[in-house]
Amino acid sequence: MRALIFAVRSLVRQPGRTALGIIGIAAVGALLFDMLLLSRGLVVSFRDLLDSVGFDVRVTATDSPLPGGIRLTDATGAAAQIARLPGVAEAVPMRTATGEVWQTGRPVIGLTLTGMDPGARRPWTLITGADLGPSLAPPELVVNQSLMDEVGGAIGSEVTLRTGCDSSRAALAPRTFRIVGIAQFPFDDEAQHTAVMTRTALREACGDDKDEADMLMVASSGGAGAAVAAIRAARPDLVPVTNEQIVARMQTQGFTYFRQISAVLSTITLLFGFLLITVLLTVSVNQRLAEIAALRALGFSRGRAAADVLLQGAMLVGAGGILALPLGFALSLWLDQILKAMPGIPASMHFFVFEPRALVLHAALLVTTALLASAYPMWLVARLPIATTLRNEVVG
Amino acid sequence: MEPLIEARSLGKVFPMGGGPVHALRDISVQIAAGEYLTIRGPSGCGKSTLLHILGCVDTPSSGTLRFDGRDVSALPDHARSDLRLRSIGFVFQRFFLLPMLTAAENVDVPQAEAGVSRADRKRRTAELLDYVGLGHRAGHRPSQLSGGEAQRVAIARALANRPRLLLADEPTGELDRANGEHIAELLDRVQADGTTVVVVTHDAALAERAARRLVMRDGLIEREEHAR
Amino acid sequence: MIGRRAAIAALCAAVAALSSVASSAPSPAPDILVSRQLLESQQLQVGDVVSLSSDTSGANPRSFRIAGQYEPTPDPMRLGAVRLEVRLHLPDVVSLTAQSDPLDAESVDAINVVLANDDEARATVRRLMTAVPGTVAERAGNDERRAAPFVVLERFHLAIAIVTVIASSVFLLALMLMLVEERRATVGMLRLIGFRRTRILQHVLAEGVVIAITGALFGVVLSVVLEGGINRFFQWRYDTALVFVHITPGVALRSVTVAVPLGVAAIFASSWSLLRGEGISLTRR
Repeated sequence: MRALIFAVRSLVRQPGRTALGIIGIAAVGALLFDMLLLSRGLVVSFRDLLDSVGFDVRVTATDSPLPGGIRLTDATGAAAQIARLPGVAEAVPMRTATGEVWQTGRPVIGLTLTGMDPGARRPWTLITGADLGPSLAPPELVVNQSLMDEVGGAIGSEVTLRTGCDSSRAALAPRTFRIVGIAQFPFDDEAQHTAVMTRTALREACGDDKDEADMLMVASSGGAGAAVAAIRAARPDLVPVTNEQIVARMQTQGFTYFRQISAVLSTITLLFGFLLITVLLTVSVNQRLAEIAALRALGFSRGRAAADVLLQGAMLVGAGGILALPLGFALSLWLDQILKAMPGIPASMHFFVFEPRALVLHAALLVTTALLASAYPMWLVARLPIATTLRNEVVG
Repeated sequence: MEPLIEARSLGKVFPMGGGPVHALRDISVQIAAGEYLTIRGPSGCGKSTLLHILGCVDTPSSGTLRFDGRDVSALPDHARSDLRLRSIGFVFQRFFLLPMLTAAENVDVPQAEAGVSRADRKRRTAELLDYVGLGHRAGHRPSQLSGGEAQRVAIARALANRPRLLLADEPTGELDRANGEHIAELLDRVQADGTTVVVVTHDAALAERAARRLVMRDGLIEREEHAR
Repeated sequence: MIGRRAAIAALCAAVAALSSVASSAPSPAPDILVSRQLLESQQLQVGDVVSLSSDTSGANPRSFRIAGQYEPTPDPMRLGAVRLEVRLHLPDVVSLTAQSDPLDAESVDAINVVLANDDEARATVRRLMTAVPGTVAERAGNDERRAAPFVVLERFHLAIAIVTVIASSVFLLALMLMLVEERRATVGMLRLIGFRRTRILQHVLAEGVVIAITGALFGVVLSVVLEGGINRFFQWRYDTALVFVHITPGVALRSVTVAVPLGVAAIFASSWSLLRGEGISLTRR
């Protein structure tokens, strides 16, 4: 009888126990799988989001995280200088501000404003209407659907908007803008109100003539690393970072909680799985000592008897591990939905992102768990004193 | 002719909390091929210990054991396992059939372990179950068999790889008189067919069936009896 | 709000412009407080005189004396961030960060108000916003926006706890099944002797309650022991005073309230087949 069939029959002999072992492994395996997805989910999702915008380098005045950092001065000049560098395809200044839409008899609507001139690339996708034009009479706005729904107007309607460009300054007078288009902004969260206008329009709305920008968004033509090197050489006073570097910074700061909880829960689930299998196999072996001694007396080698235990452990973990995948997938949808409710998380970002390496790591961890969990019961079987066990069975 | 088994000055000591227990003291015995030998004695006299050492299930603390001319006293575990698989068959008082397997599958297990082909296993299993009179119960599990039937399957299993030596430890210990008689007859037949049979038993009637009988006491062979 | 904070951030970013002057010469430089992390990262000491600039190039620096160090208030939203901060007197911040705009000298990010009577906070907020249009007044400590991430995390933790409880219940059931299986022959004998099912059930449940309570209490003790270790590890890892795990009596009670019924249910469920069977069938091989 083949070893595999023998092990299957041993497991099927105690169907309740075997089923519970598999279900237990499936539950912890699902959680383990999700934690592996979570450990890099935000990073992968954030990286994809950054890359989708079309710019792979961002240049700021300091390395302080935005918003709140010092603005770039002479932004137009800096952008033009950088755009001329080899390895750079485009450089676009961007300035952010806050805003409020005022409507008679209705509460004020807060929003995030971006001042940016549309070029070959832009960090928004027009859904309907027209993109920004140079008109300042009145200046044009492209808004997101959420803001449009809140305002309740149509494309072409005018809104009264007050900008907040610098908290150290007094409140600015509201101005009239015309909504020319609706767009999707990749970094919007579910409830966010966002609008974009030209830099000139924002400068006028801010009531200053400062050619400032919060950052320059740069698209490289020959690789982000080369572009960063060129920018550093040309403008050592500025701080260029690639998307990868931004992601790395977020990984050590903003996303660090999720990495830690992923590591902690992965460890706990593996320990749990290890305990479950060890206990199941050890109790099974202890209940079958006489039977195992008889098989050894009949000629089963130590290795053969131990291999039977290992096979049982492998089958429990294997069956549970396979079942864990659809369970884990379903669980990840639920957990992702919970975490995406966090304010400030872009709607298109996900916490749980599937990567093939997560699957490989999941399998490797489960295999290791099966091996380690089977070690003690295998040792029991290998060390079993045949004669003493047989004698004790008769006496007992 | 060289004996199948030759034991010289066998001793076995079990270290216990209250002091060492000398289960066997200076046992020397030769068993010829095809012989039928029974071992009797009061509880604790060392007869099962002797059986375990003869069957290479346990190793002696002192003395030597030769099986078919080969010194097996200090063989490594894998070699002893192999010897038991191919040359020695065991029958236990409590049968020790695998409960999750059928009668046929129980007989199949040692053959599969010895690498016998599937076709040969199937043939041999059917042959053995017929030999013990249970060909019609091949598909039944041990829980569906009576004590006598289970012991007969156990004997069939022990004979699976055509062992030269069959060792039985109290084979009728859990059976009634009638079933015990059937088992005794079966063991007679096994020996008559050429297998060396050594039986440890309390059952005087079973012991009397052997041509040669050893009586043990306190780890020693007290006397040897021969059939008239 | 952004401007002044940006200035403080710039001070940190202008670390390159910091210089340490020997404190042997007496200096009229104004006092500042420096965060412990900044002190350590720049190998500064209390009493050192440093130069600060709000310009990234280090232009127009001013000298300040480090009067002391402080421990930044732990902020869970800034876990992992190295807190390089400086605290200055308000006039010093203003003079350091003021630009050409004459209004800069009179602008602040926020004004903190302490009320004589906390119950008047809501009314005071309304009065302020009416009296000074263009300002935003908020009650401190009632910031739902700041609490929102923690509400989400709490839900996340609850979801994880649910999955963990399910897996633990399965494990528990498996263990109880094995425990009960070992008693098969004993229960069979008791039934054959004449014990009624309900009597045996009482034994089973009593045993289940004892095991469940003991296990639950052990779990609480274990979690209290681990609490210290986990907190110490993460406080070291992130150089923070934040508490990551906090076992309160409420948490312990909730755990025991979940664990004990689960344990009892598990032993009852696993004993069910045993109690249903006839005595003789339980004693068979």
